[in-house]
Amino acid sequence: MTGRDDDRRLEELVDGIVVLSSGDLSNRLQVSPARDGIDAVTTGINLLAEELQSMYEDLEVRVAERTALLEAAKAELRRVINTDELTGLASRSLLQEKVAEAVAGAGAARQPALILLDLDSFRLINDSLGHAAGDAVLREAALRLVAAAGAGHLIARLSGDEFAVLVVDQEPDAVLQIASRLGESLKDRIVAGGVAVALTAGTGVRLGEPGLRSEELIRDADIAMHEAKKRGRDTLLVFSAAMHEAAKQRVHLVAELRTALATNELELEYQPIMDLRTGTIAGAEALIRWRHPNLGLLAPDTFLEAADEAGLTVEIGHWVLAKAIAQTGLWKADPGLPADFSTHINLSPADLHHVDLAPYVESLLARHGVEPCHVSIEITETAIMRGGPEVAATMQSLNDLGVRIEIDDFGTGYSSISYLRTLPAAQAKIDKSLLDGLTTDRQQETFVAAILQLIHSAGLGAVAEGIEEREQAERLRQLNCEFGQGYYFSRPLSVADMTDLLAHRDGAAA
Amino acid sequence: MPEKDLETSGGWGISSLGFDSTGILRLEWARGVVIDAPNAQFAMDRVNELCGGRPTPLLIDMATTDSVSRAARAVFAKRCDASAIALLGSSAVDRVLANFFLGVNSAPVPTRFFTDSNEAVSWLTSQGHDGA
Repeated sequence: MTGRDDDRRLEELVDGIVVLSSGDLSNRLQVSPARDGIDAVTTGINLLAEELQSMYEDLEVRVAERTALLEAAKAELRRVINTDELTGLASRSLLQEKVAEAVAGAGAARQPALILLDLDSFRLINDSLGHAAGDAVLREAALRLVAAAGAGHLIARLSGDEFAVLVVDQEPDAVLQIASRLGESLKDRIVAGGVAVALTAGTGVRLGEPGLRSEELIRDADIAMHEAKKRGRDTLLVFSAAMHEAAKQRVHLVAELRTALATNELELEYQPIMDLRTGTIAGAEALIRWRHPNLGLLAPDTFLEAADEAGLTVEIGHWVLAKAIAQTGLWKADPGLPADFSTHINLSPADLHHVDLAPYVESLLARHGVEPCHVSIEITETAIMRGGPEVAATMQSLNDLGVRIEIDDFGTGYSSISYLRTLPAAQAKIDKSLLDGLTTDRQQETFVAAILQLIHSAGLGAVAEGIEEREQAERLRQLNCEFGQGYYFSRPLSVADMTDLLAHRDGAAA
Repeated sequence: MPEKDLETSGGWGISSLGFDSTGILRLEWARGVVIDAPNAQFAMDRVNELCGGRPTPLLIDMATTDSVSRAARAVFAKRCDASAIALLGSSAVDRVLANFFLGVNSAPVPTRFFTDSNEAVSWLTSQGHDGA
């Protein structure tokens, strides 16, 4: 080999390397028969190129496999996020996405509407038939809703027993028809857990409006649905602006209520309960008020619902107990209480489920030096009937303390008459609605007489509330009703006025 | 151009395969052979056959082998009955090939490259044969 040959060969070698480095790893270089040093380098480079090519190909295969796995995983994740696992319907997140899309895309055309359904009493089904049966019911409900909604409308399961239907491009009438159909479709009996279940739902509808944002559409449909649920079973309501106002106010109220509890904005008024036979005061019902900084003195029906939503019911209940029992202790000291006087305190079902109720009452009585007979706990008939063994146990333990129990709103619930006899109650308060027509309608008078008879025969005393006229008081006394309460005797009084009343009653020390 | 001698006892690019007088098994690849997986496998099988389960020193004459593919090298890296392998070559190219064999796919037994036949034989002998 001449030096010039070597130079040429080295140049060819470098050319070959350049080709390899450009990415063409399949290029191989020629080895001469001399098998000299340059050939050795060439051979080495060929072998290296082969290695690299092989590794590169392996890598490409692995990358392709990994990419495929990744794509599959992403698709699966998307499916999981967008699908409700139990029913196969869309998930909440997919619904939100689609609502936003529909609202954005509607433009001048018909606006999308949203229908929300919440199954009535579904928890009962789950609790009594078991979760497997409950799931089967939900799956069946989902199928029915899909069939009833028709094609083109997205159906989602939001949670538990809540469903949503996004209706696109329909006139309001058609939307309401669909909503109604949806509710109806649930009513055919579903067989689950060996039992035939009849479903109904509370339905809220929000019709579309230009300029309405997707979050607002969802929120308003929700407000309408909650409103429908409050009105009872199987109710359909279309959203109105008034609902929105009411909802806003409730939210405000809830926030303010927490402060109220902490800053003594809550107070108690006391309405005297009279002994109809003697005309003397026999007790007082503690009634909660809220002295709101802007809205003035608020009665319970304006804020007890907010209390419920805020989870403050039990706390408020405890507060009332503490305040009323303390006040009773103060009255006992000055100006003194009639022997048979009792302060009546209303308790809610939530209070009754609280395990520490009786011990709490006991500690309050001890702390304020009040005898148990001076405290009467009022529990509504419905709360007792719905309460089950827990409530009965609570009533019994209160009774064991010596505290008296009074059944409130008697005659409005569904009590079993024999159950009435077994309750550890001392009195029953007949609901004010029963006094309507007492003095003018013979039928009504007979009816009230029968109720009083019933109460007496069960061994309880009777209290009538809402007495507004002297004739009513008279008639009730003639019918042997022992106690009465109402505007005829006195409206609810402040502590000062009540104290005055006690001080100046017949037979009082002052 | 040297003649490519691909006629062998047994075929597959092997020029000769057999024991010499010192008990060393010699495998001679044909000149200009391209060693790929099939003939590599064939050679391994025949070598193992002849070793008969007893570790045997192996001398492979691979001078002027054209190329040894990656696949072939993988075959060689598998267990074989040789107790030690001497690779005999005659050029720098042979040395590169042999070193790829030694370095990239590690051989299962002691292996070295030689350009001198006597050195190869004395190294193999010094490795000792088990049972010899």
